[in-house]
Amino acid sequence: MADLLKIEGLCSGYGQARVLDNISFSMRAGESLALLGRNGVGKSTLMRTLMGLTVRHSGSVRFAGIDLSNAPPHRRARAGLGWVPQERAMFPSLTVEEHLTTVARDGPWNLAAIYDVFPRLRERRSNLGNQLSGGEQQMVAIARALVTNPRLLLLDEPMEGLAPIIVQELAAVVGRLIREAGLSVIVVEQHARLALSMTARAIVLNRGQIVHESSSQELLDDGAKLGRLVAVA
Amino acid sequence: MASNILGILFDGLAYGSLLFLIGVGLSITMGLMNFINLAHGTFAMAGGYISASLSQKSGMPFLATLPVAFVGAGLFGLVAERLLFRRLYKAPHLDQVLFTFGFVLSSIAAAHYFFGAGQQMGVMPSFLQGQIRVYGIDLGRYRLLLIAFVGLITLALHLILSKTRFGAQVRAAVDNQDAAAGLGINVGLIFSLCFALGTGLAGLGGALGIEVLGLDPGFPLKYMVYFLLVVVVGGAGTIRGPLIAAMILGVFDVAGKYYVPQAGAFIIYVLMIVLLLAFPTGLGGKRA
Repeated sequence: MADLLKIEGLCSGYGQARVLDNISFSMRAGESLALLGRNGVGKSTLMRTLMGLTVRHSGSVRFAGIDLSNAPPHRRARAGLGWVPQERAMFPSLTVEEHLTTVARDGPWNLAAIYDVFPRLRERRSNLGNQLSGGEQQMVAIARALVTNPRLLLLDEPMEGLAPIIVQELAAVVGRLIREAGLSVIVVEQHARLALSMTARAIVLNRGQIVHESSSQELLDDGAKLGRLVAVA
Repeated sequence: MASNILGILFDGLAYGSLLFLIGVGLSITMGLMNFINLAHGTFAMAGGYISASLSQKSGMPFLATLPVAFVGAGLFGLVAERLLFRRLYKAPHLDQVLFTFGFVLSSIAAAHYFFGAGQQMGVMPSFLQGQIRVYGIDLGRYRLLLIAFVGLITLALHLILSKTRFGAQVRAAVDNQDAAAGLGINVGLIFSLCFALGTGLAGLGGALGIEVLGLDPGFPLKYMVYFLLVVVVGGAGTIRGPLIAAMILGVFDVAGKYYVPQAGAFIIYVLMIVLLLAFPTGLGGKRA
């Protein structure tokens, strides 16, 4: 089966400053990947680079058979990348429902399907983006990416700053998306064990380079190695 | 005395309506791209000259020239944005200021060359001339039309922004440009359309303003500060803020020139300082 995402020799950063150094990996459709590493090693920069929001110095990004290396962000989104940005990036002047209808594209993930998964958002649909709790904001951020009917969901620290009970609830939803909806997912997460438990494969970054690549299970089983690589709590 | 105050209030609101009509597009585009555009008045002037030329030379009725001024200035804005302005969105603010100021100076020279240095006269239809008396106050018919007309346009803008998908995309792009783009909204296209709409409205304001603001080649420079005040005091990226700001500026400017003419424009600058100290992010409450 052809690769859904293929990254080769990717170097990128902000302006002249280089953050990512020679990143190469690929994913098949339906695969799930945990992207781990300590703070500041380039995980979010990799997500933003996939979305075309950094300066690419060299290397290529191919997605679903299309070369997106030079594509602007909106074309990448339309090609099927569903971005859930770090810190949720709400639109304060849009209601919850507007967050969804404004970016929706045709596909199985319509409003009804979203409200089935997140009944809370139906109750809050007339509230503005800045009138929501952290957990609700994260639901909106995930729902907002889903209504674009993506082929690959990019989750950038979706559990950051949320109460443990909300983390469990969201992790269950993301787990279902991966297993039942067959969605391809890359998840960046500080809770390394949580991310590993949801995914099949793992990549660890350090100083902008890939320093480890294996199945998620292997890292879960070898706690010492995981600790060395990402210094988990 | 009371009727005098009401008369000044009325004139101030008419003046403020024009400032709002011309400045609102600047507010949206500055909010979207954080782009410092001093050249907005050039597009208002273009609309004014389109209207004046059509009514003086081709004898077109004044009201019929208004849609032409709107479309003409909007197309001028669209072309200028696509060819010139968009190259500077990521440039330092000083470059933006220098470029747009140069654009203003060029437009002044061009207007001078094509239309001469003199004031243009509007050709008002007779039913818009003179005044009507309401409860003992003389209200200029033309200013009355102006306020009503700008009220309708404001309502239309509000509906577009709050009720349509396009409007929601504009709001999303103003709130968070990266997130909007990363979710598939073509922010560049949204901006071009807003720029065209905003410059079109400026052109309409320039045409409607011939009677009130006057029209000569110095127009973009003479009113530059007023349009910027509308945006800075009102807050970029909204329409409610600039609307309130334009009305306050209009009323205080007219009242100041009437009661303390020797103070001149001093009044509105003091007002600006006071308002900005009280509302640092503008009356609309968004980033400016």
